[in-house]
Amino acid sequence: MTTKVTINRLATGVPGLDEVLGGGLPEFSFNLIAGPPGCGKTTLAHQIMFALATPERPALYFTVLGEPPLKMLRYQQQFDFFDSETINRSIRFINLSDETQEGDLDKVLRRIGAEVEAQGPGLVFVDSFRSVVIADRTEGHSHRNLQQFVQQLGMLMTSWQATTFLIGEYFTEIDANPVFTVADGLIWLRQSVQRNSMVRKLEIMKMRGQPTLPGLHTFRIGSAGLEVFPPAGLAAAAGMQASAPAADARLRTGVPSLDRMLGGGVPRGYSVLVAGPSGSGKSILAAAFLAEGARCGETGVVAVFEQHPRRSRNRVLAGLIDSGRIGLVDSRAPDLSIDEIVLLLMSEISRLKASRVVIDSLSGFELALAPTFREDFRESLSRLVTALAAAGVTVMMTSELEDRYTDLRFSPYGTAFLTDAIIVQRYIEVDSRLLRVMAVVKVRASAHSDELRVFSIDDDGIHVGERLTDQEGLLGGRPTRKPAAGRPRPAAGADDG
Amino acid sequence: MASQESDRIAAPLANRVATDANAAQIADAMVATWREIDAALTPIIGSQGVVALYKRSLYLTGTAHPWLAGMHEGAQAAIDLAALKSIVAQQSSADAALGGNALLQTFYQLLGSLVGPSLTERLLRSVWADSLSGPPAQDTTR
Repeated sequence: MTTKVTINRLATGVPGLDEVLGGGLPEFSFNLIAGPPGCGKTTLAHQIMFALATPERPALYFTVLGEPPLKMLRYQQQFDFFDSETINRSIRFINLSDETQEGDLDKVLRRIGAEVEAQGPGLVFVDSFRSVVIADRTEGHSHRNLQQFVQQLGMLMTSWQATTFLIGEYFTEIDANPVFTVADGLIWLRQSVQRNSMVRKLEIMKMRGQPTLPGLHTFRIGSAGLEVFPPAGLAAAAGMQASAPAADARLRTGVPSLDRMLGGGVPRGYSVLVAGPSGSGKSILAAAFLAEGARCGETGVVAVFEQHPRRSRNRVLAGLIDSGRIGLVDSRAPDLSIDEIVLLLMSEISRLKASRVVIDSLSGFELALAPTFREDFRESLSRLVTALAAAGVTVMMTSELEDRYTDLRFSPYGTAFLTDAIIVQRYIEVDSRLLRVMAVVKVRASAHSDELRVFSIDDDGIHVGERLTDQEGLLGGRPTRKPAAGRPRPAAGADDG
Repeated sequence: MASQESDRIAAPLANRVATDANAAQIADAMVATWREIDAALTPIIGSQGVVALYKRSLYLTGTAHPWLAGMHEGAQAAIDLAALKSIVAQQSSADAALGGNALLQTFYQLLGSLVGPSLTERLLRSVWADSLSGPPAQDTTR
């Protein structure tokens, strides 16, 4: 038998928050939820309360001046988690405006103490804390009084075995507020504004005895309340069991000649980058990749970040999406974070047990991200690829590439090194026609073709032709016919430009 | 449907007084009902919240029942039940019952429009349950 106390961890009921907290909220902890007005503190508190309050573990919610309780209830009752039946049963609201108006913190504390004694709650919320401070009119030493107030409150609550939350406003992080020392947990909510985009972020600045996930975690507030997006890698780990890929298993792309060029298809679990100029056929190749999967009885997920995903979809793919064989991640929500996208992808992948994933396109993906994340786009992309690799899926990503005939580039953002295989598409001019050529640039740890092959696109998809053996300088965009013995050089042949 | 709803909302009053009650009896019943409403809501939304809703209800009801008009004026720290009692007692019993019911209904609907019918029903359930001699209040909600 152990002589140590095991601290229970409470599940907060906020998706993603328990992971970020490092396994839930310690029971009987004394927590501070802080942040500027409008960042979601009260909503977070309510969501946690409605998730945790039971008749055996009732909650007391003290409202202190600040926001009129009528308004607070008006807005909170909209959320899905707000269950009116629990009010006055496992949840009790207590308004302290009369006590606070008198400006005597001792009186406020006594009232809280009396109510706690009378009701024996397992959860206590005080909203908002700032109002308590402002209401403190006992001359001058507000800082000392405040510290005393918080210390006494903390002591009272811990000895009453209640998990407590103070909701506070306007704290500055640099300010060594004594409250921070007293609190066991410090949940900081922020709104990060850049240009005209706003992203909500949450940070666990402190949580005693818990392996919390450091850093800022994005969250969103919807009709169901808050949803926190824990870091991408974690979502993957919690995701699915990678269907132990046979190391040499290959996936067919749906374009047989391309499979041969790749050395027998795309190795399972690889990430493939398809780079090429606008209209070169990247999305069509990606659709063929998914359709081939569906033909072999596999499921897939496609993430599109385009303005009109339905309109631009090709017919076969649209059919597969409608039939449920292919999952569609089509988040037009503004200001996405990488973690949110990974979460969306992962939930689709695990729902469909998908083995193929298409991201079409990286350029659209970059635009969909909130500006604040764009600076770290490469890092974000790396996390995305890592997360997908951990899930064991094979990924095809398309990337718009401006055709510059002066250099040979495969991807913007220097993303090439992140992927295991690269297919590049280019336009070339031959006989006053714009032809397309395709080449396999890289397949990690595998032999592959080095040919530059012409291909065409018709209603049936991509058809890869032969090498243009009689042309040279294809990558310059304007190839010239090689001088061949016994063949007259064409009069209108390309000049040497 | 609408009349059932208003019957139910007016139940506290109707169940406290006999149909042939005089204005003074109606006034007493109203005071008792409002005391219960005050007791149920003040801990949650504060006395200022209750007073604000009460005054708004008086204002809204005053257009159809002119004898209630003007009651909402002036600052009040709490619901002025003495004033309500005295003015109700001065009306005919029919007017008193009509106005008293209308005031309760308006208040109930006002709170409902602010925090939703489901929460309103929950918050005021004790008031209604106490006054009903028949079936329990929650059975009449659907």
